[in-house]
Amino acid sequence: MKVIESLKIKEKEYIEKLDNGMTVIIIPKPGLEKKYVIWGTHFGSIDNRFIMPETKEEVFIPDGVAHFLEHKMFEQPDGTNSLDTLMGLGLDANAYTTNDHTAYLFECTDNFYKGLDELMDYVQHPYFTEENVEKEKGIIAQEIKMYDDEPSWRLYMNAMDCMYKENPIKIDIAGSVESISKITPDVLYKCYNTFYNPSNMAMVVCGDFNPEELLVEIKKRLLPNQKQDKIERIYPAKEGTINKKYEELEMEVSLPLFAFGIKDVEENNDKEELVKKHIAIEILLNMIIGKSSEAYKELYEEGNLLSEPDLDYEFSDEYAHVLISGQSKDPNKVKEKIESEIEKYKTKGIDEESFNRIRKKVYGDYVAEYNNVGSIARMFLADKIKDINSFDYIEKYNNVTKEYTEKVLKNVFKSENMIMSVIKSRD
Amino acid sequence: MNYVKTEIKKGINLHNINTSKFKTNLFAAFLATPLTRENVTKNALLAAVLRRGTKNIKSQDLISKKLEEMYGASFDCGIEKTGDNHVIKFYLETINENFLPEKEELDKKSVEILFDIIFNPLVQNEEFNEDYVESEKKKLKQIIESKIDNKRAYSFERCIEEMFKDEPYGLYKFGYIEDLEKITPKNLYEYYQELLQKCKIDIFASGDFENKNINEIIKNNSAIKKLKERNPEYIINKEKSETKEIKEPKTIEEKMQVGQGNLVIGLSCNSKIENLKFVMSVYNAILGGGANSKLFQNVREKNSLAYTAGSTFRRQKNTIFIRCGIEINNYNKALETIKEQIEDMRSGKFTEEDIENAKKLIVSSVRGINSEQDTEITYYYGQELSDNFTSINEYIEKIERVTKDKLVEVSKDIWINTIYFLRD
Repeated sequence: MKVIESLKIKEKEYIEKLDNGMTVIIIPKPGLEKKYVIWGTHFGSIDNRFIMPETKEEVFIPDGVAHFLEHKMFEQPDGTNSLDTLMGLGLDANAYTTNDHTAYLFECTDNFYKGLDELMDYVQHPYFTEENVEKEKGIIAQEIKMYDDEPSWRLYMNAMDCMYKENPIKIDIAGSVESISKITPDVLYKCYNTFYNPSNMAMVVCGDFNPEELLVEIKKRLLPNQKQDKIERIYPAKEGTINKKYEELEMEVSLPLFAFGIKDVEENNDKEELVKKHIAIEILLNMIIGKSSEAYKELYEEGNLLSEPDLDYEFSDEYAHVLISGQSKDPNKVKEKIESEIEKYKTKGIDEESFNRIRKKVYGDYVAEYNNVGSIARMFLADKIKDINSFDYIEKYNNVTKEYTEKVLKNVFKSENMIMSVIKSRD
Repeated sequence: MNYVKTEIKKGINLHNINTSKFKTNLFAAFLATPLTRENVTKNALLAAVLRRGTKNIKSQDLISKKLEEMYGASFDCGIEKTGDNHVIKFYLETINENFLPEKEELDKKSVEILFDIIFNPLVQNEEFNEDYVESEKKKLKQIIESKIDNKRAYSFERCIEEMFKDEPYGLYKFGYIEDLEKITPKNLYEYYQELLQKCKIDIFASGDFENKNINEIIKNNSAIKKLKERNPEYIINKEKSETKEIKEPKTIEEKMQVGQGNLVIGLSCNSKIENLKFVMSVYNAILGGGANSKLFQNVREKNSLAYTAGSTFRRQKNTIFIRCGIEINNYNKALETIKEQIEDMRSGKFTEEDIENAKKLIVSSVRGINSEQDTEITYYYGQELSDNFTSINEYIEKIERVTKDKLVEVSKDIWINTIYFLRD
């Protein structure tokens, strides 16, 4: 196995690309009781149109299939449910679907290999019937309704709607009650056969393991499977502009919610460069509206912010945007303040002292991510799907200079790409 | 055991958790007093005001700057109900010095800042800074009002409130708007001084401190030295449950604009058997602990009535809460299905395998306690407030010893106390 070591945080990563195309990443944690394994496929809610590598057939799928498939993977032909089986072993098992990947996981202290048996068995054995697909529709409809009542989710979806016209990131991960009604076993099998081929998957394990021994155990449990050609995913053309500036919705909330977004339209294919850019954006966001910023101090003291907003940079090959979200009695005030801060930094530049201070903070935040087996494994998987090595965030930290950060500020924080989504309170 | 407790002064304890499993060192200080309507709002406000500034570091942005300079050490404070105690919690997490790009002394600085915030607030003329108090009052008001925003959490809170009406545990941890108006910078400061003299204080230091004598650093801190010994007033969480008068379930229905109904059912238990909490913990896991629990299987999987269906055991109160998100029209069917599950528990309609599964679920999570720094602190603090210290290994043994007979015996003393439903 290939070994990458981060000397700064004293962690090692063992990587192996198997013959069938699957990537295995192991991060040993000697002495830790908890173990965590996550197996993911590069198939998320945005992958709704593609060409099957075997048949060359082009497929359009209803919204919410990746998530539906995730739910259905647990069901076994003998009537058992793998989630129950895993829980029965005392493991904390789960699965989730994001914009760009689907993941199956469990965390445990004992019974790791029995759990691995089950995990690798059920993910490799789909079982979809007319009947079990119908039954799931009721459960997922309830899940969709749960999200519909959640103001922060609606806020996020509207922010996406502001930034993108056609991009599939606008699609609700779970789909809609209407779209999932169209899902059939045939659709599920087509997606399974395309995206659950090992060459489209990666497994990350974190815990007290000997990596070489663990790799043998993983290989033993893989079915013989042909490596398949690259899946051709069809996405709408990239949009250089936003869809609309503003969107609002009334809901039963005590205080309005806001999401201020900046669409990043800069083309960028170099992965190491992306990591640097991500670090620079985190530094910038902290300087603009983080805990120690002038803007936050002012908004907090005026009572326009209750706590520091969430700061985020989400990106994949198909989308990229900055999000600043929180609650405020006057979202417009917050927006104006953020915009004027951005302008201020653009014209005056950023000062050396704050830059160095914030950069230290951002470094500390990355290090603290390595406290928990689950957060480590999820991070390595999510980054792997993007073709990024998580250690780069620690290693590239020193290369992010003040000048570089100022350049990112000018290239990304453009006023024509700024949007605002608001959830207002009902009167 | 990697856990050692020492008394600094009467009523003030220092708990060390020596561990090299983490990239961070975590310091915490907990101030506990009995939950009362009179003080609940003051405590919540106090936590918010203290974080605004100290005599040495006068404002929040200056505190933040200091912390950022220390590789983003993070300070946090919050307020919790632990049984019938109201606990103000302060945390400071800092990167372990082994993982810094350049050597720096962070532990001593962290301890100083943490205690400075708690024990050395910005005070002028025997009162708190007026601006800080007034702006935090406004914010706390908004926090209290925002209770309705998350419907699931709101429903849970409302069920607790109704079930423990006129009891300390029914109080809302952030307090009440009508009580907020009476608080001034002066009377809050008076209350603070009184609180510091009588509250139970527990300090935790978790991490890898190598050869550094972290205990000396803490004990010699000037703020700690100034504290007086005390007979702390707090409520000990007892092993045995309190007896509640069995009545017809209290049913509460509330309306709001929601698409999904939220059903929360509070179960009480009057059993007095030995090791009751361990038996109830297993009972809860069988009923609604995970994906193979009765509730998940029957409410969600078999009948497709819900996406969320499960239960939570509140150990200190010997209470189980069942929580389901359901289609509003399915209320009667869901309630009926839930009652059947409780009835099945009473009549022993569960297998040895169900018991084993439930035990594994609990044991696994208990074994994992020392893989998370704050969870480990919370565990030992829970033991500190109870009348019976149980180590992690003893805890596991007691869970393993729960039998079907005991489960059935206890389930006969479990009854539905309150049914709360949020609908449109």
